[in-house]
Amino acid sequence: MHAILLSLLGAVIILDKYALGEFGISQPIITGAIFGAIFGDVWFGIFLGGMIQLVFLGGLPIGRDIPPDGQAAGIIAVTSYFLLRGHNTLGHSLFVAAVLGLAGGITGGVLEIYARRFNEKLYARFIDHEESLYICHTAGLLTAFGRGVCLFLPIFIFSTLFTVPGVFPQVTGQTMAIIGISLGLANSFYLFVKMKTFVYLLIGGICGLALAVF
Amino acid sequence: MRLSLGRLLRIFFQSLFIQTSWSFPSMQGMGFLSDVLVGVGEDKRAEIMKTQKGLFNTHPYMVSYIVGATVRAYDEGKASAEEIKRFLSVAQASFASAGDLLFWRTLRPALLLAAVILGVHYGIIGPLTFLVVYNIFHLFHRIKGISDGYNLGWDVIYLLDKRRFKTVRQVFEAVGAVLSGLLFSLIAVEVSYLLVIPLTALFLIMLIKRYSAVMIILSVLLVVLIIGMV
Repeated sequence: MHAILLSLLGAVIILDKYALGEFGISQPIITGAIFGAIFGDVWFGIFLGGMIQLVFLGGLPIGRDIPPDGQAAGIIAVTSYFLLRGHNTLGHSLFVAAVLGLAGGITGGVLEIYARRFNEKLYARFIDHEESLYICHTAGLLTAFGRGVCLFLPIFIFSTLFTVPGVFPQVTGQTMAIIGISLGLANSFYLFVKMKTFVYLLIGGICGLALAVF
Repeated sequence: MRLSLGRLLRIFFQSLFIQTSWSFPSMQGMGFLSDVLVGVGEDKRAEIMKTQKGLFNTHPYMVSYIVGATVRAYDEGKASAEEIKRFLSVAQASFASAGDLLFWRTLRPALLLAAVILGVHYGIIGPLTFLVVYNIFHLFHRIKGISDGYNLGWDVIYLLDKRRFKTVRQVFEAVGAVLSGLLFSLIAVEVSYLLVIPLTALFLIMLIKRYSAVMIILSVLLVVLIIGMV
């Protein structure tokens, strides 16, 4: 029951990715806070969502290109972690949640392509029946919502039921931070650092190290 | 000619659904058509339906400028369908490029970086800051774009040279660079430099060499697995 409700909530939030509004509510740092609040641990939700955010920071949806779904990865990683944590060790839960989140991001990108292929049928119907424009157009919301449910429901049911075998690797919050910070630095260097902005990077670096030390 | 508040709100609300039915053959075609149709009078709808059913694609926040100018063209009734199509083909490419550069490549990643840094240090302030600041810029373009598009007509393209695009992008490029440096402050969560430095170099090389995003995510999975086993 819990998994179904969470999947429905996730599918509603993921509409923000492209189908409705695009206010940024579906970004992993935001969904981390939302799902963290639901499970009573906002800070860890924000932390895990933030690390997933850094991993997917450079995924730019330009033109026809559909990159892996960072938003879905955020929802899956954070929610799975909290679901798994109920009956597994923290290290095992985090490891499985990270794997599910990253794999879910790739699967989400593939499912998005299928959802958009399905929208082709809506477009074809509109071409044949002009009067159905608003119905065909709005039906795209159902396609996007269905994609979310298909993606989240099996993963959340799995996370609710799965007991991680002891031989599985374990990771800590520090491991997630290492990966998040590494990819975050790589992504942000790639996006922002040029000859003319190098001085700003140095200013930020000095301030960052000062903040870390003091 | 003025755009009434009622029409502006209808176009704005419909523009939130611009990508709802995104498909490969028409991209935002149905979304654009729906948005224009709520803005024009009943008498123009049949003509628009006949002539503007094709492919349309631009940045989702920038569509407001184009819809505003298109609605103005239909209100005036001077331009032919062919002339409107020509305007649309130029405008959608220009605004797509400007919007992608401004929002997807600069403003959003910079503000997300700020949200992560603030979030890890100060909790909920990070996500809230992102939502508020990002949506100020987002909604400004969505709403002001409609009225500017309507007031300027086809001259709306010249807005791409204005401060709201160029200066904002330059400022957020600098902000993004500062925040890239500030990411070092997350080392306060007791992270090992010895792993961060080589992994950053590895991922940066993959980005520069334009490895696919899927490949990069798979390598992250591999790193998680290796660190987990060690």
